[in-house]
Amino acid sequence: MTSSSPPLSSAARRAVFSSLAAEPRVDAVVRRIGDAIVLGLLGDGEQLPGESELSARLGVATVTLREALVVLRQQGLVTTRRGRGGGTFVRAPEDTLDDRLGARLLTHPTEELRDLADHWAALAGATARLAAERADAHDLDAPRRSLREFAEAEDPAARGRLDGRFHVEIAAAAQSARLTREEIRFQTEIGPLLCLAFNQPEAHREADAQHRALVDAVASGDGTRARDLAEQHVHFGLRRLIERRLDGSWQQQSEAAPPS
Amino acid sequence: MAAAVGGGTTVVGATGHQALEVAEAIGGLLETVFAAVERARAAVTALLGSGPAPATTDLTRLRRGFQKELGGLVVGLGFVAAPGLLTDVPAWLEWWQLRPDGGVQPLLLDLDPATSAYSDYTHWDWYALPRSSGRREISGPYVDYLCTDEYSLTLAAPVHSPDGTFAGVSAADVYLRHFEAVAVPALRALGRPAFLVNPRGRVVASTTAARLAGDLVRNLDGLDVHACGEIPLRLVTLPG
Repeated sequence: MTSSSPPLSSAARRAVFSSLAAEPRVDAVVRRIGDAIVLGLLGDGEQLPGESELSARLGVATVTLREALVVLRQQGLVTTRRGRGGGTFVRAPEDTLDDRLGARLLTHPTEELRDLADHWAALAGATARLAAERADAHDLDAPRRSLREFAEAEDPAARGRLDGRFHVEIAAAAQSARLTREEIRFQTEIGPLLCLAFNQPEAHREADAQHRALVDAVASGDGTRARDLAEQHVHFGLRRLIERRLDGSWQQQSEAAPPS
Repeated sequence: MAAAVGGGTTVVGATGHQALEVAEAIGGLLETVFAAVERARAAVTALLGSGPAPATTDLTRLRRGFQKELGGLVVGLGFVAAPGLLTDVPAWLEWWQLRPDGGVQPLLLDLDPATSAYSDYTHWDWYALPRSSGRREISGPYVDYLCTDEYSLTLAAPVHSPDGTFAGVSAADVYLRHFEAVAVPALRALGRPAFLVNPRGRVVASTTAARLAGDLVRNLDGLDVHACGEIPLRLVTLPG
């Protein structure tokens, strides 16, 4: 990690600091900021905005933010310095991305992952159907480039980023700013974990084949097929995560209470 | 999927004259945006001609001029450097945006390919079209998920170094809803359904719910079509 952090893209920055929906608020803040740190969106040593500004931007009470910062401090993801030049600073974690994402995955109940998959699939399906109706040949240059880069990417994190870009480009081809923003919001919420879905070679190959079939359906103007393929693609990725989540919880339980 | 849009007949009658006037007025609106793009282009060209290869700090001299162009239809304006042009960074956008509260802010993108999937901007139409044609170009309407997350038009012109090599583009962003707010009243004055369409056949603004911004119109056969001056949009009217 470098001491100076790269500036976030505007979309990513807005997403990181945008208002949180009604969830257990402390958990939501911990997850949002923790993810950004785990993924390197907030770089080592970067100062977070002040408490009042940050709580206003996240749409939570200052006390909620403080509780979340306590948790993040316990997780070793931020450090707080008092006095002049003080504030809350990012501390980049030292364990591997896969470990961190695996730990992060354990914080999601499988029911929540299943429900998220349903919601995301609904968005992705409707978006793909509209894209099939509205995309012109040029609109598909970008997702075609992304799927090629995805197919060639070796690094799971890069695969996750390129899969995300591919879906944002499909949403943009649907000509909907709202659907595109929603797609970006989903990716901010759960997208990082999809690195875990694409780290096995066969899952990577399968996702690549799904991308190609989806673009072909959009290109041929077959909205129904595009919708079905987009929904299946989301469920495919999330099913991989749920399987890993179930393995993880089993391991955790068996470590905590070995069978006698 | 749309092929290039052909067809359409230019009719000049009593209503044809009125449509032509509206088309040229709408073209004139976008010419004012292109005038800002041209002033930005001239400023960058002068900077490139004034000394050795520039660094990002040299571009700060452009800021006041860029900021002054913001307002009216222009919500973002700047210079997008060709990768490799600047001595201190691989890629750069010297880009300024109007905030909703009227203030101005720089656009700060993550251009590091190690952390961002969006670091390469050279494939976007607003960059690639002026680079390949050597002329000013309008891109969009398109969802600008790089800079604003809004449905937008971008007007851009190529910038060249003193030796004639392509150095990047100067450009301005227009939110489609802002453009619609000025174009639709003009179209309404025609008294019959009308819409504007870009060269790829995508509707830009419309007075009929049957053809909305973002829709593709595959065939203009049998419809009245008017050029918007030198602006590559066309005004299409439907029988009232």
